[in-house]
Amino acid sequence: MTDTRAILAGGRQAPRFSVASFAREYGVLVIIAALLIGLTLASDSFLTPRNLLNIVNQSAPLAIIACALTLVIIAGGFDLSTGAIFGVASVSAGWIAVNVDPVTAMIAGPLIGVALGLVNGVIITAFNVHSFLVTLATSLVYRGIAILITGGALIPVRIPEFAWLGREKVGMVNIAVIVFVVFMLVMMLLLNRTTFGRRVFAVGGNEEAAILSGIRTKLIKIATFAISGGAAGLAGVITVSRLSMASPQAGAGMELEAIAAVILGGTSIMGGAGAIWRSVSGVLLMALIGNGFNILNVNPFFKDLTTGVIIVVAVALAASKPRR
Amino acid sequence: MNMKFLTAAAFSALTVMTPLMASAEDAPVRVAFLAASSQNGFNQAIYAGIEKAAKAFGGSVTTEIFDGEFSATKQYSQVEDLVAGGRFDALIITPNDTVGIATALEDATAAGLKVATTLFPVGPELSNMQPQVKGLTTTVATDPSIGARAQAEKVVEFCADKNPCKVAVIIGQLIYPFDNLRNETYKKVLGEHSNIQIVATGEGNYDPNASLKATQDILQAHPDINAILSNADQHLMGAEIALTDADIDLSKVYTIGGGLNQIAVDAIRAGKWNATLTQVPASMGAAALTAIVKSKRGETVPTWIDESKLRDIPQIVDKAWLDAHPDFVAEWQG
Repeated sequence: MTDTRAILAGGRQAPRFSVASFAREYGVLVIIAALLIGLTLASDSFLTPRNLLNIVNQSAPLAIIACALTLVIIAGGFDLSTGAIFGVASVSAGWIAVNVDPVTAMIAGPLIGVALGLVNGVIITAFNVHSFLVTLATSLVYRGIAILITGGALIPVRIPEFAWLGREKVGMVNIAVIVFVVFMLVMMLLLNRTTFGRRVFAVGGNEEAAILSGIRTKLIKIATFAISGGAAGLAGVITVSRLSMASPQAGAGMELEAIAAVILGGTSIMGGAGAIWRSVSGVLLMALIGNGFNILNVNPFFKDLTTGVIIVVAVALAASKPRR
Repeated sequence: MNMKFLTAAAFSALTVMTPLMASAEDAPVRVAFLAASSQNGFNQAIYAGIEKAAKAFGGSVTTEIFDGEFSATKQYSQVEDLVAGGRFDALIITPNDTVGIATALEDATAAGLKVATTLFPVGPELSNMQPQVKGLTTTVATDPSIGARAQAEKVVEFCADKNPCKVAVIIGQLIYPFDNLRNETYKKVLGEHSNIQIVATGEGNYDPNASLKATQDILQAHPDINAILSNADQHLMGAEIALTDADIDLSKVYTIGGGLNQIAVDAIRAGKWNATLTQVPASMGAAALTAIVKSKRGETVPTWIDESKLRDIPQIVDKAWLDAHPDFVAEWQG
C-alpha cells in the first residue's frame, strides 16, 4: 500500500531494505563480520586490542598499495608493477640509508616509486597500449633493476633512525599504522572531494565521454599510475624499516594481493566505480584469514584453499548485484 | 713379427697417444650451472664456488649460470634447451623440483653430458643420496632430515628443564617436499618428549616479512613461547623483530635457524640468536664442479659428496663455536 501511495503521489519508490541486497552491496563487510565472530569464539587471543592493532600494522604496506591501486582501477587501468616498484624502492631506500642518510632514504623511496609510476603512465598513454601489458613488462624491468642494485643479496639496514618508521609506536599504535590511516584519508579526500577524483571516475566510466567533456584523460591516467608507484614506494620503505633489511625479492606477488584486495572489496574491475574503504576492507579480510590460521594453528595447507573460497564467495556476492 | 717391428709399433703408438692423453687432462670442459634462482644469495654463493673451482683448472673449464626463477617448469625447459643446444659438456643443477626434473636429467646423461646435483638429490627419495637418475655423476648434498634432527635435538636440550616447553616452528613452505620432510622430522623428534609442545607451525616462505607476520600472529596466542625452531635464517630475521616488538627478552627464547649466512653469524655472535644449521653453498658448488670435471676427464669420482663434511664446521653453529673462531666468515651474505 505504501508503495502504491508513493507512486500515486508521484514520488519515487522508497528502496526496501533486504538482507540479500545488503549482503550483495556490502559482501566484504558481511564476511569480515562473520570472520570476526567466528575467530572471537574460536580463540581468546583474537579479539584483543593488541591483536587487532597487530593485524592493521601487518596490513599497512599492502593497504597503502591497495588504496592507490583503487584509483588506477577506477580510472580503467591495471597496475601489475606495484610489487616490483616496491622492490626497487626497498633496495634503493636500504642502500641510501646505509650509504647516505636514513632520512633521505625514507623520502627517496616514495619519490622513486612516483618516478617509476610516471614511466608506466607515460608509456601507457603515449603508445596507447593497455596498462596490463605495459605494467607486466615494466615489472620485469623494475625487478631487474632491484636485483642489479643489490646483486641479489640482502642489505641489512640496522639503523635506529631508519627503523623508526616501521618499528616505533605512539602509545600502542605503530607509526606505520598512523601513516597508513593518513594515507587512506588523503586518498578518500582525493577521490571523493576533489575535481581530480571526479575525473578519475569519469575516465574509468566512459573515457570517450570524458574526452568530449574536456577532461585531459591522459594526464589523469598518468597521475593515477604515479600515485600508485608512490604508494608502492612508501610501502617498500615501511617494510624495509620494519625488517631492518632490504631484499630485491621484496614485494614479489604483492601486486596480485593488492589487486585481489581491491576486487574483493567490490571495486569494479571494469572501472568507473569503487571506493577506498572497499579496498581497505579487502586487505583486512585477507589479513584476518592469515591471522586466524596462525592463531588457531590450523594446518597451513588449508590457508590458500580457505582464502580462495572466501574470495570466490565475496566476488560472487558482488557480481550478483543487479546491473543498472 | 720381429722385435724391431714391435718396438717401432709401440713407439709409434706412444707418440700418437701422448698428445691425446695430455689433451684429455686439459680438454676444455664447458659447464652450465642451473640455479634454482640466479637472483638468490644462496644460489649465487654456489655459483661463486663453481667459478672459483673452475679457475683452479686454469683456463680449460668455463662456466655459465642460468636462472631457474624458482620455477620447476622453467628449469625443465632449460635442461632440454641445453641438451639440444650442445654447447655444454656438463650440467650442475640446484633443482627446484627434485622429482619432476629427473626425466630431463636422464635425457641429459643419455646425450653424454655429465650431471651433478647440489643441495638436494634428484629423484623421488629425498633421503637417498645415491644416484636415482641413470648416469648421474654425483650428488653434493646432505639428507635434509639429518640437519632437521640435529636442530630439533638442540631444542630438546634447551627444553630439558622446562615443562611445558612451548615451541613455534617456522617452516619454509609445506608444499615443498624437503620442507615437509624437515617439518615431519621436527614433529617426530620433539614429539618424543612429553614436556615439549609444538604450539604453532607457521610458513615463512624464506621471506623475513612473511615470517615476521607469522611470528607476530603466533605471539598473540602464545606470548609465553620458549623456543622458535626454523629451517632458514631468513625466518629468524622476521622472528627476532616480532619478539623484540612484543617486548620479549630474546635471551629467554631459544632461536635456531638454518643456512649459516653472515647475518645469522653476526646475530649469534651478538647473542640475539642461539644457533643455526650449517650450510656451505660455495664449498658445495666447488665440490660439484671439481667432481664433474674430473669425471669428464676420465677419473672416478664419488657418487655422493656429503655437504656436511666439506668443511670443518660443526653441524650446528652456536655462539661458543663462533667465539672460538672469531675470524670465521660465512659463505653467503643472506
